[in-house]
Amino acid sequence: MMGHILCSGKIKMAADRSKRYQKIDFLGEGQFATVYKAKDTKTGQIVAVKKIKLGQRAEAKDGINRTALREIKLLQELSHTNIIGLYDVFGHKSNISLVFDFMDTDMEVVTKDTSIVMTGPHIKAYAIMTLEGLEYLHNNWILHRDLKPNNLLVNSQGILKITDFGLAKTFGSPNRVYTHQVVTRWYRAPELLYGARIYGTGVDMWAVGCILAELLLRVPFLPGDSDIDQLSKIFQALGTPSEDTWPGMKSLPDYIEYKQFPGTPLKDIFTAAADDLISLLGKLLCLNPSQRYNCSQALQMPYFSNKPGPTPNPQLPLPSGTSAEILMEDHKVKVGVKRKLPADSDPTLKKKLVF
Amino acid sequence: MAGNFWQSSHCQQWILDKQDLLRDRQDDLTNFPDDEYQKVHIFYCGVIQAVGEQLKLRQQVIATATVYFKRFYSKYSFRTIDPLLMGPTCVFLASKVEEFGVISNSRLITACQTVIKNKFSYAFNQEFPYRINHVLECEFYLLEMMDCCLVVYHPYRPLTSYVQDMGQEDTVLPLAWRIVNDSYRTDVCLLYPPFMIALAALHMACVILQKDAKHWFAELSVDMEKMLEITRVILRLYDLWKQYDERKEILSLLSKMPKARIAQPGQSSDGKQGSQGGSQK
Repeated sequence: MMGHILCSGKIKMAADRSKRYQKIDFLGEGQFATVYKAKDTKTGQIVAVKKIKLGQRAEAKDGINRTALREIKLLQELSHTNIIGLYDVFGHKSNISLVFDFMDTDMEVVTKDTSIVMTGPHIKAYAIMTLEGLEYLHNNWILHRDLKPNNLLVNSQGILKITDFGLAKTFGSPNRVYTHQVVTRWYRAPELLYGARIYGTGVDMWAVGCILAELLLRVPFLPGDSDIDQLSKIFQALGTPSEDTWPGMKSLPDYIEYKQFPGTPLKDIFTAAADDLISLLGKLLCLNPSQRYNCSQALQMPYFSNKPGPTPNPQLPLPSGTSAEILMEDHKVKVGVKRKLPADSDPTLKKKLVF
Repeated sequence: MAGNFWQSSHCQQWILDKQDLLRDRQDDLTNFPDDEYQKVHIFYCGVIQAVGEQLKLRQQVIATATVYFKRFYSKYSFRTIDPLLMGPTCVFLASKVEEFGVISNSRLITACQTVIKNKFSYAFNQEFPYRINHVLECEFYLLEMMDCCLVVYHPYRPLTSYVQDMGQEDTVLPLAWRIVNDSYRTDVCLLYPPFMIALAALHMACVILQKDAKHWFAELSVDMEKMLEITRVILRLYDLWKQYDERKEILSLLSKMPKARIAQPGQSSDGKQGSQGGSQK
C-alpha cells in the first residue's frame, strides 16, 4: 500500500462525488469502459456515467487513460447541441468516470430497426444535425476520426449528438503527421487506406457520406472485410480513380494499383434518393480528398434548402423498446442487436495508436 | 489546441483575478512573505524545466506543465501536496495532453532522480523520494482540481503571428520569445490572456532593441494599461533575479516549506496526516 500523498483534508473529492450519481441501469460494457444510466441526485437529471476501466496492469501504469483524457480535454472546450455534453468527471481511486448526456439510442440501432420507416425528411434531419455538429468541430480545428452510425447518438427528443472523442485530434499544424490507422474500416476514406499521413477534414466528410448512404440502404454501404477489400469495394462502387481525377494519389505511401472499375452512377445505387441528395452524396464520396466538400460547403447545397424540409426533431422515429441497448462507447460488447465486426478485424487495433 | 480562445476553458475559467489569487494564497504567503513565495515558485519551475529537458520535451509541453503547476497552487497551499511531487506530475500529464507521446514510468522517475541529483543537489540533501504510484495518484488530484480544464493557450503562437505582421521576424522574435519563456516564472500566465503576454513581450523586445514600433502598437485596440502591467511584472522578475542567488538561499527557503510529505520509507507517519494518512509499506 502506498501512503496517501495528501496531508491535510483540504482536498475533498473522489469518493463522495461518485455518490452524487445514483445508478439506475446497466447500459453496457466495453473493453475500455462500463456505462451506466444514472440519476444526478443534485439536479434530478438522467445521465450516462462512463466508467473507464483500468484495463491491463500495463495500461494502469500509464495513469489516466489516454483515450479518456482526450475526451475530457476536447469535450471540456466544446459546447454544441449536436456534440455530446460532458458534465462531470470524477475519480474514485484510480478509476475515472465521465458523466455525459443520457442518450436513448444511436443511429446504428435506428438504421437496423426494420420497423422504422426512414423517409426523405428523416434523413435530411439526421444529415443536418450530423453536419452541423461536425462543422462546429472542424471550425474548432478538431478531427473526429471515428465517425460511424453508433457514434451518432439520438435522444428521445430526436436530437442527434456526436460522441466518442477517444480518437479525436486537433489539426492544422502544417508539419505534424498523423497516423492513418483511424476510423472504423467501413467508414475509412480512400486516402487513409492508401496510407496518407497528412490529411484533413475530408476523412470525416467521407465517413458522413458512408453514413448517409447507409441510412438510404439500411445496410452498410461499403462493408470491406480487409483494407484491400475496402478499397476494392470503394472503387467497384465509385469507379477506380486515375492520376487525372485524383492527382497525387500514386505518391501516397501505400498506393497500389487496382483493376479499372467503371463504377456505378450513384442514382443507380440509391434508386430511392432524390437528385439533390444524390449530388450531396457525390460531393461527400468524392475520391479525391481535395475536391470533397467540407461541412459548410455541404450545408450550402440545394438539398438542404429544397423541399421537403427536415422532420422536426420530436417527430423523428425511435426504435421500438428503446432502452438499454445504447453504449456511450460502442466497440466491444454489444447488448442487443449490434452488428458484429468481421472476425479477422482487430478491434483493439485502433486504441494502440502511436501519435 | 488551435480552437477558439475566447470560448475556451482557459479564457473562461482560468484567467484569475489578482485579488482572488492573493486571497487563495494567504496560507502560503504567511510562510513565505514578500518575494520568497515567488522564489519558491521560480525554483520549482526550474525543476519542471529541467525534468522536461531531460525528457527532451518540446517547450510547449513544459510551458503547459508549468501552467498546471501554477494553477494547482493558485487554489491550494504547498502544504496539501509536495511541489516536488506535483512538478513531475504536471510534466507527466502535460505530455499526454499535448499528445507528445508516452513517457514510460521508469523514464519519468529516472529523469527526476537524475535531475535532482545532478542539477539540484544544492537544494535537496536526499534523492528524489517519489515512486510512480505517487505520481499517478497526484495526477488525479491535479486533473480534478483544474476542473478537467486541460487545454492551455500559450503566447508563442500569437507572438509568431504578430512578429510576422510587424515584419520584424529576424530581429525581434528571438528576444521576445525569451521574454515569453521568462514570463512563466511569474504569475502572468494565471492573470492575463496569452495574446496580451505576447504583446507585452514583443513591446519589451522592441524597446530593448530600439526598434521603432510605435505605429504598429498604436494601431492595436488593446488595453495598453494591461500590457504595461504585464511588463512591470516581468521587469520585477528581472530585478529579483539580479539580486538573488538561488544556490545560497533555496535551502533555507525550502526548510520553511510546510511538510506535506508522505511518510518516507523507514520513517514513521508523522501523525498530522489524520485519517487520510497512512504509512507506506
